[in-house]
Amino acid sequence: MDPVTAMYVAQGIHGLAYGMVLFLVASGLTLIFGMMGILNLAHASFFMLSAYFSYTVLQLTGNFWLALLIAPAATAVLGVMMERFLLTKIHAFGHIGELILTIGVSLVILDGVKVFWGTVNLPLRPPEILQGMVNLGGLEYPAYRLFVIGLALCVLIFLAIILYKTRLGMVVRAAVSDADMVNALGINVPLVFMLVFGVGTWMAGIAGVAIAPILTVFPGLADQMGLDAFIVVVVGGFGSLTGAFIVSIVCGLLNSYGVQFISSLAPVLMFVFMAIVLGIKPMGLFGERE
Amino acid sequence: MMRKTHQWILAAFILAALVFYPKIFGIYYTNVFVTFAIFALFATSFNLLLGYTGLLSFGHAMFFGTGAYGTALALEHIEGMPLIAALLAGLLAAALLALILCPIMVRVSGTAFAMLHLAFGQLMYVLALKLRGITGGEDGVGGFPIPPLKIAGLVSIDMTDPSNFYYFAITVLGLSIIILWFFTKTPFGSIMVAVRDNAKRVDYLGFKVPQTKAVIYIVAGAFAGVAGSIYALFQNLIAADDGFNVIVSFAPISMTIVGGIGSFFGPLMGSAIFGMIGEMTSRYTERVELVMGVILILVILYAPYGFMGFISFVRKKLAKAAA
Repeated sequence: MDPVTAMYVAQGIHGLAYGMVLFLVASGLTLIFGMMGILNLAHASFFMLSAYFSYTVLQLTGNFWLALLIAPAATAVLGVMMERFLLTKIHAFGHIGELILTIGVSLVILDGVKVFWGTVNLPLRPPEILQGMVNLGGLEYPAYRLFVIGLALCVLIFLAIILYKTRLGMVVRAAVSDADMVNALGINVPLVFMLVFGVGTWMAGIAGVAIAPILTVFPGLADQMGLDAFIVVVVGGFGSLTGAFIVSIVCGLLNSYGVQFISSLAPVLMFVFMAIVLGIKPMGLFGERE
Repeated sequence: MMRKTHQWILAAFILAALVFYPKIFGIYYTNVFVTFAIFALFATSFNLLLGYTGLLSFGHAMFFGTGAYGTALALEHIEGMPLIAALLAGLLAAALLALILCPIMVRVSGTAFAMLHLAFGQLMYVLALKLRGITGGEDGVGGFPIPPLKIAGLVSIDMTDPSNFYYFAITVLGLSIIILWFFTKTPFGSIMVAVRDNAKRVDYLGFKVPQTKAVIYIVAGAFAGVAGSIYALFQNLIAADDGFNVIVSFAPISMTIVGGIGSFFGPLMGSAIFGMIGEMTSRYTERVELVMGVILILVILYAPYGFMGFISFVRKKLAKAAA
């Protein structure tokens, strides 16, 4: 492979890796929104929290795989607690109240991690096996990023099987389109809500652990990922998983190629993309409602 | 009749308190008060969208920042720029931004409106950081000359003196809030509330909903610009983090919610409460955001109509007890 093509391919895989992680965060966000109409502004904070958890687990045990198992689970427990003890209490006050509440939670988490872990960038080493480079037909590529793509794909396939091949998935999809009707059919919808909230934060947690060795762990992590995830959800259409997937990949590629060609204005590219899509389709690419 | 007299006495009392404030409390608290007044106007202009029209914006800071940069850049690049003209430059810059954005914004509402503002607010933040040649990046625009206030070419008041600046800022901000108060009392103000409650019916009554929203949007943006403009003059510095950061957008939301949504004076109370809390907590702890987050959660859980809602609740109880 000649150097120029190699560079393009490397940037492409970079973008793909980021896009996949982005999808892990955005899919939880869009599922929760689709079911409950709650835009969880604390979602990215849970993502960051999980990265911090994984750092601590890694410090204590030195085992990355254990961190990958424990940190997202702990995050999911916190997410479920927030849904149970805070969000259900203010359902009557409407969506603005829920948005404000999630802002409050995200502020608490943001400042909380500063109290416990400080403001410095904490480096995280990937496990031994994944530290080397892999030869892709003449291109040396870091193994860890390939692992991230694979991990995200596994989670995605797992999610797809549950959603489209099981009875539980059918209930969830039905609740997305009409929660009241499903409730009237005798299914415990609040329990399903709680489950979806848990799975959503769990996926954000996995993304947090996966991204930690690449970006290091720092308090700005939530802002960076959160904004991208919100753009993905808005552009892909609220509640649409297909939309979230396509837009995540597009955003990942836009980011990595943007940095290469117009580095100073790369962060603006996503917003321009969003403005164009929303100018044509205010509901987003695959959205059916606001 | 009695009520009217009471109101006049109250107004006279407030006016007297404002006039003598710097003499009584000294420079430090004068500056604290100017900051409060700036955020009071900012939050009031924001409440025009949230409380009156039912539009939640996560990017109101972009008008604040645009107003601030408008004034700062005008003073830096144009020699002999009068103070009032610089203020107007800030107002017009913010209004212009609102005018550019409103064709997209009036088409959406609810969560989409909020998220679009978050995105555009962030776009402005990134632009302010990246267009170093114009905005100075992280350092911002600072050290620009603050011209004296000239009245009819006769009197010239030095604005670098804190207590003179206090009177100027309070006059501008107070007038702006009074203008907004009368704005909500006009027939147009009633249409605004009607759009919030039932946009479809307003449409059937023959009023144009998108155009109404656009006018409100531009007014709210312009007055946020005034607040930003005074802020830039007050600090003699405006940087991307003070003008466009998401935290700046969250400030009026928190203030409006804590003070009381759906009441004109709610945001005023809210910014006073936040000013006091900020003043007290920053003395004991650096965790201002943590405190703010906890307050937001508690208020939305236990007092969803905020301070003003709490007051009217107490009033009703008292009236019941008296009857």
